[in-house]
Amino acid sequence: MKAERFAWWCVLVLVLGLPLAAVLTRSNPEAIELHGRMADTGGWMPGDLTAQVGQPLQLRLTSDDVVHSFAVGQSALPAIDVLPGQWTTTTLLFDQPGKYTFYCTRWCGPNHWRMRGTLEVTGTAAEMITPTTPLYVALNLDLDAPHPSDVVPSEKPSAARGAALGLKADRPVTPDRAQSPALRWQQLRSSSLTENLSDAQVWDLVALSWRSNTTSARLAEGQQLYAQNCAACHGETGRGDGVIAPALQKTLTLPGLALTGHETIAPSDFTDARHRLGASDAIFEGKIIRGGMGTGMPYWGPIFTSEQVQALVDYLWSFQFDQ
Amino acid sequence: MDLIRTRLSLPLLFIGLSALAIVMAPNPIALAAPAARHFRIEASSFQYTPAAIHVNPGDQVTIDLVATDVVHGLYIDGYDLNLTADPGQTASLSFSADRSGSFRFRCSVTCGALHPFMIGKLNVGANDLLWRAIGLGLLAISASVWIRPHSGRAPTPGCAPRTSVDDVA
Repeated sequence: MKAERFAWWCVLVLVLGLPLAAVLTRSNPEAIELHGRMADTGGWMPGDLTAQVGQPLQLRLTSDDVVHSFAVGQSALPAIDVLPGQWTTTTLLFDQPGKYTFYCTRWCGPNHWRMRGTLEVTGTAAEMITPTTPLYVALNLDLDAPHPSDVVPSEKPSAARGAALGLKADRPVTPDRAQSPALRWQQLRSSSLTENLSDAQVWDLVALSWRSNTTSARLAEGQQLYAQNCAACHGETGRGDGVIAPALQKTLTLPGLALTGHETIAPSDFTDARHRLGASDAIFEGKIIRGGMGTGMPYWGPIFTSEQVQALVDYLWSFQFDQ
Repeated sequence: MDLIRTRLSLPLLFIGLSALAIVMAPNPIALAAPAARHFRIEASSFQYTPAAIHVNPGDQVTIDLVATDVVHGLYIDGYDLNLTADPGQTASLSFSADRSGSFRFRCSVTCGALHPFMIGKLNVGANDLLWRAIGLGLLAISASVWIRPHSGRAPTPGCAPRTSVDDVA
């Protein structure tokens, strides 16, 4: 009888004690559990989060399949790796209300960039920051219009050679961010300052003016952003030959059919002078922020800050202009 | 009796010496001067291309890992080296192949359902043990073929029943 009673006690302790222990040992019961999955099988779960300004949002992150990473767009929060079979906790604090996008930063599949969720922060901030309007919106540019350059340099222009010429070719920061290098070259060519210079030397001046509009720190930041976010498709050399590029070959085979949004085309080649020198900072910015409609190019507007977009645009010019 | 002993011991001596030579002979490949070797390994779900790389002991080996679809890693057993490559960011690793043998390398980043089967092999030096064992085996076979006609009428156990059948006939 004694043994039977002991057994009953054991069963009772197990049945009641195990759930109790599980509840007690949970690190922070208020934390929201966020599961990461490949976009094809559901993406972030839940995909919508809400938070209040000034109130910490606790998250417990895990992955249901492969390695992901959690980051919030337009914030300084470093990306956190989300590993299968492990829980990672983080606390977010927002001082500005608005609709944020959280996203995955590790390539987790062909549709990696579609793994995004929204985080709505309500409340009022002590000091409201109004978002700046991108230049392409202010100027009402048509991003999808072709912009070929009529003139191309015979070799890659170099800012260092341009500086050696000793001429001043500074580019005012505004409003000429909408000007293309091709147009700038034509202006300089027709100016009396460059009468004694060859065409290639005028191109060097153009390179100098674009280089003098940025800093080494900004170029380094742009290079890092490019490697992390762009190089998989556009290639480490910018030729549009990234490792994902073969999967993005043109799927739009029948002309005249309406776009469904599922088409992809080959990533653009940043080293192609005829295509690139006719574009401007404003067009580059717009393409990054809005994405390429019907091309498979993601929209980075909710992800990058305007400084990051600018750094990226400055770095993209280095495929056309040498230092 | 003396005659048999001399006839047996000469081939035995020869076979013994050959066996010794097979076991002890230095491997000519292992004597090659160390060189710098460069490999580009493409990692895709769920395989490495190439899946096996061969180097000589003492070589300075550089591996460029290119992930072609998702994040992949490369962990070399025995050398305790790890490398992670994101698509678009080629990762590189350099080491001195100072331990000979065959080592597995495997993906160190959970990359999908078949991730545990994403493996490859690093061969440092030729597989001496295998070749020497094959040599010894061949020697044993040729020795048995060679010695049998010279060893008189010593019946082998497998032949014994047939001899008795012949006797009856």
